[in-house]
Amino acid sequence: MTSRQFLLIVAVAQGVLLVALVILIILNRWVRVRRSARLNPQRIELDGVMQRWSLGQAPSDEVLRALARLPVPVAIDGLVTWSARIGGERWQELARALESQWWARAVRADSRSARWWKRLDCARFLSVAATSRDIGRVLQLLRDHHPAVQLAAATTLERVGSSTLVTAALEQLPFLGPTVQAYYASVLKRARPAVLRHLQQLFRRLDDPRLPRLIEFAGRLEEPVLREGFTTLATHPQAEVRTQVARALGKFPHSESVAALGFLVEDEAWPVRAQATRSLGMIADPKSLPAVREALRDPEWWVRLRAGLALTRFGAAGRNALLEAEMGGHQEARDMAALILGLSPQALAEYAA
Amino acid sequence: MSELIRVTDVVILAYFLALNTFYALLLVLSIPEIWEQTRLAEDEDFQRLMQSDALPPITILVPAHNESATIEASVTAILTLEYRNFEVVVVNDGSKDDTLERLRHAFELYEVPRTYPETLSTCPVLAVYRSRTRTRLLVIDKENGGKADSLNAAINASRFPLVIAVDADTLIEPDALLRLTRPFLLGRQIAAVGGTVRVANGCTVKDGRVNDARVPRRFLPGIQVVEYLRAFLFGRLGWNRLGGSLVISGAFGLFRKEYLHAIGGYQTRSVVEDMDLVIRLHRHLRQHKIRYEIPFIPDPVAWTEVPESGRILARQRERWHRGLIAAMWQYKGMLFNPRYGRVGLIAMPFFTFGEMIAPLIEVMGYIVTALGLALGVVNTSFALLFLLVAWGYGMLLSLWAVVLEEVSFRRYGRLGDLIRLLCYGTLETFGYRQRTVWWRLKAFFTVFTLRQRWGEMTRKGFEDAGKQAAGSTSS
Repeated sequence: MTSRQFLLIVAVAQGVLLVALVILIILNRWVRVRRSARLNPQRIELDGVMQRWSLGQAPSDEVLRALARLPVPVAIDGLVTWSARIGGERWQELARALESQWWARAVRADSRSARWWKRLDCARFLSVAATSRDIGRVLQLLRDHHPAVQLAAATTLERVGSSTLVTAALEQLPFLGPTVQAYYASVLKRARPAVLRHLQQLFRRLDDPRLPRLIEFAGRLEEPVLREGFTTLATHPQAEVRTQVARALGKFPHSESVAALGFLVEDEAWPVRAQATRSLGMIADPKSLPAVREALRDPEWWVRLRAGLALTRFGAAGRNALLEAEMGGHQEARDMAALILGLSPQALAEYAA
Repeated sequence: MSELIRVTDVVILAYFLALNTFYALLLVLSIPEIWEQTRLAEDEDFQRLMQSDALPPITILVPAHNESATIEASVTAILTLEYRNFEVVVVNDGSKDDTLERLRHAFELYEVPRTYPETLSTCPVLAVYRSRTRTRLLVIDKENGGKADSLNAAINASRFPLVIAVDADTLIEPDALLRLTRPFLLGRQIAAVGGTVRVANGCTVKDGRVNDARVPRRFLPGIQVVEYLRAFLFGRLGWNRLGGSLVISGAFGLFRKEYLHAIGGYQTRSVVEDMDLVIRLHRHLRQHKIRYEIPFIPDPVAWTEVPESGRILARQRERWHRGLIAAMWQYKGMLFNPRYGRVGLIAMPFFTFGEMIAPLIEVMGYIVTALGLALGVVNTSFALLFLLVAWGYGMLLSLWAVVLEEVSFRRYGRLGDLIRLLCYGTLETFGYRQRTVWWRLKAFFTVFTLRQRWGEMTRKGFEDAGKQAAGSTSS
């Protein structure tokens, strides 16, 4: 083949592709316009039926018929939107009625689909329409390899009160990335009783590598029943566990918490000391003031910063401690006190956050 | 002589064939990427998730130098973004105009003591200000040191683990930050994320927001809309599947701060700091065997004002290409180096041989073809066929970018805008492309003589530009 022939073939192929692309653009516009012209009235109809059903003016059969007329993803969108507005027994009733619908059965079957977006659709559907019979399916979706599917499945925990699902989610929690972990935590908070039971069991496994992340999560729950577990773990050999314990105890203003934090404020690891100092500031028990004042002389800058900020929470006594330190002989404590006393209330609030 | 011309012609043909095949590969790879990204972007649960406490806190870094015309609108728009936890650090980099005064007046700034360690060294900071009306705002006034220096100063002052560099002349869409954090929410090992930058010229802008996206009627900004679509929608998306691009736009990119600290922040001597930063990130993470991704996601959008005059555009393109040459030269050790994985074996060679030397080859192609015609070595029909193929391919890529835009995000809804996009995509090849080749060629001569500087550009201010656009639309 000569180079001229080659170029000619390429030119013809390009010409065909160019024409095809222009046709594709025009077709795409046309299909979209037609689709939205067809779907918009159906969406409006669904909204109207849902509205009437929520007011008790329409039977659930009417809702089911309106949903069946829509393409599956649009029907799921509609369910997701309305589930936020209608809750409780009435929604459960609709979820149960949906079990017998052909399209809902097809969506459920997609939990095993090879295509991740089909599994995502299934997880989204189950997040608003799951019943106790879907536990196996949700469990499978929770363990899905696509993170978007996992996240959608985690939302189901809010609706289905199953200890199996809660346990599975809790087991998975420490292995997730920090942001996903925070999301899981926010979902798990809503399934509190089952979570608390399982957490108490997990606290007993002292050599479990997941312990720091579980304590971090447990601390966010601010549940008094867990406080005793935290204080027990204050002597754990792992610094990361002690740091998380110190963080969690700040949310429990109790004499035992103060005692444990008083112990942790002298820890050999500076992150533990910094966190314990911060937590003592959050509780602001006058008995712990000397320990916080002492932390202002810590060799580590971060501990001193935390101590300075903690002292601002002790009211007049803390402020006096800072003023004393500013005039005192300890160079580093003096610098830190000067820095803290120079901060505006707004800056202090931001540091505290 | 005639043999030399013939051989050169074949070499140039082979070069364009190889380059275009690679572009075709990017084009094919962009299809599954845009499909996946569109699915995720439309996912309602993600929207719900993004309203939750799980969102990582972000510091927005806004370097500003002589941005008096747009600074107030830009900062106001940034401060009202839909995101739970963020702060804004604006750095006035020794502006000669009244940028600082405008900020001081608009946000009731008051001076505060500096309370953060200077981890990255920068030009002296003159003062630090907080706002009485906007608690999330911190303004740093410093001596002029360039954009990279300003970004380093802002990183020093930032409190949060993720930082996003945003140009002061850039308008971020309200939900762009939410969308930009999607890869983090998917639990991926993200070192940095890039979003899409689009052309704001011609759009209607109100209160620092693009209310109505339009394709400009003026030729130069209009053609740049197509260029930006091409660069972002299929260029960078395709790179997601090839180990990540070497470029995250300096106007809109989210970075993990710990990695920025590890590589010493932005390099102040660099001509294009964004490319330099991303290459150094790749190098550092590969050298330390840290698992990472630097993806581009198309749905978070920032709008920027592009040059409307040929003179300023020429300067901008020359500077970009100068930066590319300097970066490729500086990091030549990564080229074909298996230690750097796909970055060393695919991305660096592509940017060196595909992007950097492309204007040289193209000009050589024009010269050799003209010479061949003059000497009778190449006949006219062959030369025209060659040009047709070379230019046709450019058109094909532009139209493909328009297709991707149409099937995914469709920011330009009007039929008139679509027709304009198609026209610009077609006309770009005739005249404009040759001008950009010339501007890029000049960079080879200036690369070792000019130092880095802020890309100076005359700003009209978004709202003024919007009004003008609206005026021109109605007239």
